[in-house]
Amino acid sequence: MVARSLVKSYGERVAVDGIDFEVEPATCFGFLGPNGAGKTTTMKMIYGLATVGRGELSVLGLDARTKRRQIKSRLGVVPQETNLDGQVTVLENLLVQASYFGIERQTAEARARELLDFSRLADRSAEQITSLSGGMKRRLLVARALVNEPEMVVLDEPTTGLDPQARLAVWRSLETLKRRGVTLLLTTHYMEEAARLCDRLVIMDEGSIVAEGEPGALVREHVGREVLELRVSDECDAEELVASVDGRLEGHDFTEDALMLYAPDAEELLEAIDHERYPTESALVRRATLEDVFLRLTGRSLRE
Amino acid sequence: MTDVLPSPRHAARVVGRNALVFSKLWKGALLPQFLDPLFYLLALGFGLGTYVATINGQDYRDFLAPGLIASAAMWSAAFECTYNVYFRMNETRLYDAILATPVEVQDLVAGDLTWSAIRSTIYGTVFLVVVTAFGLIHSPWAILLPPLVALGGLCMSVIAYTFTALIPRIDLYSYFFTLGITPMFLFSGIFFPFDELPGFAEVIAWFTPLYHSVEISRAMATGPGPMVLVHAAWLIAVTAALFVVPVRAVRRRLVA
Ligand SMILES: Nc1ncnc2c1ncn2[C@@H]1O[C@H](COP(=O)(O)OP(=O)(O)O)[C@@H](O)[C@H]1O
Ligand SMILES: [Mg+2]
Repeated sequence: MVARSLVKSYGERVAVDGIDFEVEPATCFGFLGPNGAGKTTTMKMIYGLATVGRGELSVLGLDARTKRRQIKSRLGVVPQETNLDGQVTVLENLLVQASYFGIERQTAEARARELLDFSRLADRSAEQITSLSGGMKRRLLVARALVNEPEMVVLDEPTTGLDPQARLAVWRSLETLKRRGVTLLLTTHYMEEAARLCDRLVIMDEGSIVAEGEPGALVREHVGREVLELRVSDECDAEELVASVDGRLEGHDFTEDALMLYAPDAEELLEAIDHERYPTESALVRRATLEDVFLRLTGRSLRE
Repeated sequence: MTDVLPSPRHAARVVGRNALVFSKLWKGALLPQFLDPLFYLLALGFGLGTYVATINGQDYRDFLAPGLIASAAMWSAAFECTYNVYFRMNETRLYDAILATPVEVQDLVAGDLTWSAIRSTIYGTVFLVVVTAFGLIHSPWAILLPPLVALGGLCMSVIAYTFTALIPRIDLYSYFFTLGITPMFLFSGIFFPFDELPGFAEVIAWFTPLYHSVEISRAMATGPGPMVLVHAAWLIAVTAALFVVPVRAVRRRLVA
């Protein structure tokens, strides 16, 4: 899958502003970015629910402009908004989905039962969609995306709004898919999700890609190993504090309520600070994450 | 053209989904719709009909019954292709899910319309059986009515679908029903003939699909003439000419 100088505008508003990326088969590729970054628009161009603006987009080796039907027959799609068929049961959702792909009834039955097991929804098969919890609906959406045995699955924020347990369940099923050799395309604004699942990812902001690489490498390259997160008190001059330990820093950022100091050894840095002159309310030593990469590159935090 | 001409295979899959839902609902929520034309028959045919014994020498009940077959189909199409389609398209976002499969917009619209025509035919035919049992059908040609009812239902469906695809808000249906469907129901020659009315009344009616459906229905119930073909041609021509409008409008709406 390849995108070259891909642009998509809605009237005056540019949703995707000239992005390039390539996805290797059987890997998990992530799109990390805040709301409005252009992730959904990119996914929709891939699965045919938005027309391709300017540039090139080839999905599974096929031109996304002209080969929509062929592409869609080999894709699985988990959209950002839950759009299950509320007028039929859980099992029928999968059977009807199979019918859209022209899969014959017997094969569809067998596959649907298997997918309900895989999603741990087998005991819910005769129920209406309204009786499912949010996490179950998400799992059913993932199951529905697998009915046609897709080569690639596009997942638009598959775990947004889920509690940690439900999120873990979705992650586990995605990891299973990856092991089976299915290509995964995933958007998220949870950096821990991207870090756990993605082999490679791009960080998007305002329609553009601001960084691309492996999650670990991106963190090492842009932030370093560790972060000292300080909540400084009002009487402390943060700028001066930064200057006082400048030699030990790999970089720093200010967020609304905290000062982030990037260093190879944050513990040591904490000890080196003159706490008499620069009083702080709290200090947190932690490993650097993709969230810090985003802050580094855009000056804003990922979750606004 | 390739993005307007539907693939019958893919359209049939949409028909299948809609038929599945109907098969679950008809015994419950949809049952009253079967009774609707019966009430008109009882109130007007057997109530008013005792005073208005004949129209142009024809028993009033015999005059009324075939028109109500056509209107049963029309009401079915009007509901299916307004509220039902609106909900699937805009509220439950089901169409987003369908369009992410090999089904394309033109297949989806064609499938919905085909289903709506089938549904119309079910309602029309059930009522045909009812009025036959009342002894109000006098020609064996009436056995050919169901496919012609389907034609009327299809034409009505494509008109309602076009409205649905173009309106931004659901409350605009009040215009469709109050200014479109209700007057059409009352003034398409179901309840009284055009003979004694000023000429323009029938001219206006001629531009509505229901008028042609009613004419076909009445002719088949008594013994048809060649005009049936003209009315059928009208319904086919309007359906074919209009089909592209909802296809384009739905595409603009869902695949921007
Ligand atoms: N159908 C649309 N019409 C107009 N603007 C849109 C449409 N879809 C998305 N946008 C705009 O495009 C930008 C990117 O949106 P989106 O792709 O949904 O971002 P994300 O999924 O990263 O949150 C936003 O500013 C959004 O308002
Ligand atoms: Mg989004």
